[in-house]
Amino acid sequence: MAMLWEKKPRMGGGESLDSAPEAVLPPETARQEKPMTDNTARNLGSSTGTSSTNLGRSMVVKGELTGNEDLSIDGQFEGTINVKDHTVTVGPQGQVKSEIHARQVVVNGSVNGKISARDKIEIRKTGTVIGDLVSAGVAIEDGAYFKGSIEILREGKPVETPPRAHALAADK
Amino acid sequence: MRAVTQQPKTQNGAASSGVKSFGLEWLWQSLQDVRFPSVLECGHLLSKTLEVLVRRHAKIYVGELLAPLQKGDASLWDHSRKTPLFLTEPFLSQLPAIPAGSLSAIFSWQLFDLLPRDALAEVMLRLYLYLEPGGVLFCLLREPYLPKGAECQWWLESLTSVGREGEASKPFAYPAVTNREIERMIPKGSVKTFLTRSGWREVLIIR
Repeated sequence: MAMLWEKKPRMGGGESLDSAPEAVLPPETARQEKPMTDNTARNLGSSTGTSSTNLGRSMVVKGELTGNEDLSIDGQFEGTINVKDHTVTVGPQGQVKSEIHARQVVVNGSVNGKISARDKIEIRKTGTVIGDLVSAGVAIEDGAYFKGSIEILREGKPVETPPRAHALAADK
Repeated sequence: MRAVTQQPKTQNGAASSGVKSFGLEWLWQSLQDVRFPSVLECGHLLSKTLEVLVRRHAKIYVGELLAPLQKGDASLWDHSRKTPLFLTEPFLSQLPAIPAGSLSAIFSWQLFDLLPRDALAEVMLRLYLYLEPGGVLFCLLREPYLPKGAECQWWLESLTSVGREGEASKPFAYPAVTNREIERMIPKGSVKTFLTRSGWREVLIIR
């Protein structure tokens, strides 16, 4: 799976249209990172020195959830989740009808609602998301189902307008 | 008019790399001053397309219109009548909430080759109305001599090239759509066509 934060080789064919926006990628997007694996997601809590909470398979929760640790959902949740500096992982059996605000969100199950993540949102191939995504980075594995909109956050310096492309022979 | 040569395909029918698209080149050229384009993907959003559009700083809307048609979703038909009726409203409800007149580009791929004739005009008009002035509806339409390929999946390999996957073994259920028909359906739009050697026309409807 190609990750958005992976540095991509330039396409052949010398397409000025393609190369132009690449030059103005926000630093967050251009940075080369290792793709996240299952283990990475599992270890995120401990690597950052935080604990994590798991909502088990048999749990059905409605309401507002606010916290200061990672959250893993394997049951059903309906409401609002707010763990701004932490990771929310929706397991393959997890069903969430909720607005999620987090640092990072990984979806292996089902989410219906808006997801807002400061760093990145990842929808794995078993994941289903219906809603709007707002994040600095979004990765959707081929095979995942997504319906909604995707908006990439651009922090820091404003993005420059891509330079004008060369005149195109096709339009002559 | 330029022709597009088709790249050799791999064993499973997947294009080994993107095929240069003069239609896409024209599209992005016309949108070059749009800093943050809003784009609707009517097919399944593949990671490659996502990556390309994010690099172009696009806001992306996704509504899977192609998959139900390719799978022959029975819920989109009213079989209670003598002649089955295609249900356009439930079909279009697959789209996310998009403000009218807000999109810079729509990638409908081969949607209009898969739609029943009765629904063609309404769906095309509805998509057209999502476009902002100067916005472009990008379609791939088959030539009549191309009878198969209904299961093909398309994606943006780069801003100016397309990728395609599919064995091209499934026949199309309806006759090929002509440019004249499109012009009749969208009388106020401007239609631009790029011919290719692959049997697919790249048709751009500009609002």
